Amino acid sequence: MYKFDYEELGLICGLEIHQQLNTDKKLFCRCPSKLQGTRLPDFNTKRYMRPVLGEMGTFDEAMLTEYKKGKTIIYEGYNDVICTYELDDTPPFSCNEEARKIALEIALLLNSNIIEEMHVSRKNYLDGSVPCGFQRTMILGTDGYITLKNNKKIGIDILSLEEEAARKIKTENKTNFYRLDRLGIPLVEVTTKPDINTPEECRDCAERIGLLLWMTNVKKVLGSIRQDVNVSIKSGTRIEIKGVQKLSWIPLLINHEISRQLGLIEIREELKNREVSEEDIPKEPVDLTSVIAKTKSKFIASGLKSGKKLHGFNFKGFRGIFGKELMEDYRFGTEVSSKVKVISGLKGIIHSDENLENYNLSKNDIQKIQNKLNSKENDCFVLILGTKKELNKAADIIINRIENAFNGVPPETRKALENGNTEFLRELHGGARLYPDTDSQAIMNTAEEIKKIQNNLPMYPWDIIEEYAKKYQVEQSSIKDLIFKGKLSLFNSLIEIYPEKPSIVLNTLLNKAKAIKREGKKIENITDDDYIIIFQELKNENIGKEAIEDLMRLKADSPNLTIEQSIEKLHFETLSVDDLKKIINDIINKNSEIIKEREMRSMGPLMGDVMEKVRGKIDGEIVSKELKEQILNKLKEMR
Amino acid sequence: MGDKLKGYKGKSIEVLKKYKIEIWDIIQITTKKTQLEGILMPRSEYSAPDFIEIKLENNYNVGINVSDIQNIKKIGKREANYKFPEKVFPYNKALPKVQLLGTGGTVASRLDYTTGAVIPSFTPSELYSSVPELAEICNLDCEIVFEILSENMKFEYWQKLAEKVKLAADSGFDGVIIGHGTDTMSFTSAALSFMLKNLSIPVVLTGSQRSSDRPSSDAALNLINAATVATSDIAEVVVTMLGSPSHDYGLIHRGTLVRKMHSSVRNTFRTIDDIPLGMVKNGKVKIFKNDYKKRTKSETMIMTDFEKKVALLYFYPGLESDQIEFYIDKGYKGIVIAGTGLGHVSTHVYDAIERAVQEKITILMTTQTIHGYVGMNVYSTGRELQDLGVIPGRNLLPEVGYIKLGWVLGQTSDSKEIKDLLLSNIAGEFLDREIPIAFNYNIDELLRNKKL
Repeated sequence: MYKFDYEELGLICGLEIHQQLNTDKKLFCRCPSKLQGTRLPDFNTKRYMRPVLGEMGTFDEAMLTEYKKGKTIIYEGYNDVICTYELDDTPPFSCNEEARKIALEIALLLNSNIIEEMHVSRKNYLDGSVPCGFQRTMILGTDGYITLKNNKKIGIDILSLEEEAARKIKTENKTNFYRLDRLGIPLVEVTTKPDINTPEECRDCAERIGLLLWMTNVKKVLGSIRQDVNVSIKSGTRIEIKGVQKLSWIPLLINHEISRQLGLIEIREELKNREVSEEDIPKEPVDLTSVIAKTKSKFIASGLKSGKKLHGFNFKGFRGIFGKELMEDYRFGTEVSSKVKVISGLKGIIHSDENLENYNLSKNDIQKIQNKLNSKENDCFVLILGTKKELNKAADIIINRIENAFNGVPPETRKALENGNTEFLRELHGGARLYPDTDSQAIMNTAEEIKKIQNNLPMYPWDIIEEYAKKYQVEQSSIKDLIFKGKLSLFNSLIEIYPEKPSIVLNTLLNKAKAIKREGKKIENITDDDYIIIFQELKNENIGKEAIEDLMRLKADSPNLTIEQSIEKLHFETLSVDDLKKIINDIINKNSEIIKEREMRSMGPLMGDVMEKVRGKIDGEIVSKELKEQILNKLKEMR
Repeated sequence: MGDKLKGYKGKSIEVLKKYKIEIWDIIQITTKKTQLEGILMPRSEYSAPDFIEIKLENNYNVGINVSDIQNIKKIGKREANYKFPEKVFPYNKALPKVQLLGTGGTVASRLDYTTGAVIPSFTPSELYSSVPELAEICNLDCEIVFEILSENMKFEYWQKLAEKVKLAADSGFDGVIIGHGTDTMSFTSAALSFMLKNLSIPVVLTGSQRSSDRPSSDAALNLINAATVATSDIAEVVVTMLGSPSHDYGLIHRGTLVRKMHSSVRNTFRTIDDIPLGMVKNGKVKIFKNDYKKRTKSETMIMTDFEKKVALLYFYPGLESDQIEFYIDKGYKGIVIAGTGLGHVSTHVYDAIERAVQEKITILMTTQTIHGYVGMNVYSTGRELQDLGVIPGRNLLPEVGYIKLGWVLGQTSDSKEIKDLLLSNIAGEFLDREIPIAFNYNIDELLRNKKL
């Protein structure tokens, strides 16, 4: 594992957190704000995106790269839940008031300065994820802060309210398929200032922002919150890491990124020391197809047979550079090849820092390649195998990436991977992709509104966690789980109904729910109202606490059943205490040997036998009491 | 101060004057709660009076209540520096010559990221920068004829455009594209259809439903399709716009049968009472109807006289005679009525119509159902109206009726000639028959089933 001195490295991190809001309708149209899951779409609409000339008469680089990919976009929609607005065929309707108010509450919880007059801006996206080619977004708060566990204040740069992008379904033959159900769901984006200086602080900050968001009316389901982390070190570059799915990934990702940046800086210095010149980078590859025509390498031979060509580059003075490890299981060669793969689609490059025997290249093959490329001992050669079109694109990318090796860390957006590594995602967007939306008018947050929301803010989640843990004598982590499961307010309602044993409520909402989910049952079929009825029945002693789990299972399986009906169904199987006594009596008579032998220690195994027959039909405490009583009686009898 | 504080009023203008701040100044604002830095933006006239609007460094715009402001400090000025890459539109001897006439619609434009304003780009070099595909279709020459919103069109502009088309045809252009706002595009296409006689080259009107400042714009594709049609052999005035919500194919509509049928969708234009003339996709034209006029070598003529004292009256239950009397008293020469159903108005306005006819005012009946013919022999109302002197406008769209009547009255004042001209098919505006699918054809479906 890495051990870094973050202060000396000058580590600076920032977070961007996206959270969907839990409104009925979308932000700028009145379509339902609800994903349609795997339901098949009713229609397809085909579109192309073109880059837009900026004010300087130039195109944004990232937009141009996206355009060059030459992608067709197919939007998939539904006749009942998608309207012409999502298809960019009707101007926006008014801003969703409910969404604006939730965002206001979040901004105030983050101690932000509220923008009284908001202006909608357009943020260009050319990947097709938004049919109009831009996302509508507005700043609602600036200059707030959040306090960390260590009491450090992290600045909140901006809080914006914006539209969620469409859901990417697949890419097929240069066509990206997007589903329009997710498009337009209201979203807040929380951007911190670059005040974070250790990986642990970053994790804590992300967790606290997450907890805070989940105290408000946001969508509390998997995928409704997304985190991006920005990482930079002194003499490195600010790198944006997108798609961080779990809080626990954050420290690992940051450490790996530090390692990558340090490695790239070392490469830069090493090239300087070796006096390698940027001038020596070849401007174009050399065609090696004829040189290697008779190779025994199956990989290359079968490629050539299918019409592909083999191109090569010689990088003077680069020996060992491609093999340099930047992160665990990730060399500079990986850095180059993954970028080539993402942009050109060409999979895998071969370089002379690898063991070329893996490709079955003979000494003779290698000699021929070296001769043709004029590759010397201190050089590194790179081979690419592909169609003419792929090779042209790949060549540009490789040359460009090698040129950048002389500058250290090139600025880019990277994608988080599960193993803590990252890979190239896209070029960093230029700043000039945000401009005023000419289709909408200013939106006001009035002073009265702000005041009203300010006066009704919920408590800070970390205060709640501490208070509840103390008050209910439970672990802090359980309360945190409650918040991240979106069950805090339900917990509050249930505790009010059934204050006797908070641990039962907690156990029901966390462990039991988890166990039932693990059985593959649809836990989402149990509504908050169902839980409330269950605990009312428990309170009125109409059911024992053992019945809770059975009721939950029943409800998860048959959502149309009411809790009352479920209880009735269970009641068929409910035992009276008299019946219980009979069952226990039977079991005791059958097991008198064991009782004789173990006396009170027979309680455990016998309890198991009894429970097997009565589980869910009667309270376990009653069973235990009755069993104990009867064992004692039996023992007395025996004596 | 004027433009230096454009759009500011009330308290905000006082505050800005106090701190001597002008639009485009980079300023630092201290409010009770925070400090904000940005460029002072011009403001819409209709926005709230007590706010000042700045563009923050992150390019977001925000409005700040002046009552919160404690201090404003000027720290710089944003220098506007528009430069356009000089890219010469390549000349290819083998390709046809097309002239693009601009009327103010933004078929191609670039964006002022500060104001969000769309700056039309219109020189061949600018167009080549944003739609390089055009160079593979034709050699392009561009001319801005006027720069107006399409709702501000009037007959003088139609006359001017007709003259420009003739000039283009006379000087050897192989086709003309007219960039036009979509709102009144069909008025202009109808006007040009009547004004141009013996047209020898294609005249293609096109525009965009999503302006070219957004990546999803239909402008580039419409322009590319229009260029393809302008180099085809269809020597008629046509409208070419996308035929479906997809960026897939354009439809070619005859200039006198086309109408904008939706306020915002891309495939808003439809040929009414018939299917479109054809379609255009990937640089190829496919003809659906073979009765179009082909390119000729003969000279294009123009007949541009137009009577502007013509009104278009939409009938509704409750319409009173005084509306018709108004036009009579104002000296109008013609009234086109968009009547109900087969071409009816209420008996309450008969007197006014009778008076209008007596005063030599031509009255042409069309139908507000848009689709179908007027049928003024079916009910007594129709027969009575004809008896009063109302001329049945067959399948004419009300707007086309207006253009045709204005044009006819510009050509002659003889009442027999007027009636003869009105009832003869001059520019493909009349249809002898309406095919059954004309009312609700779905081009996507017809293409899918290979029926076209």
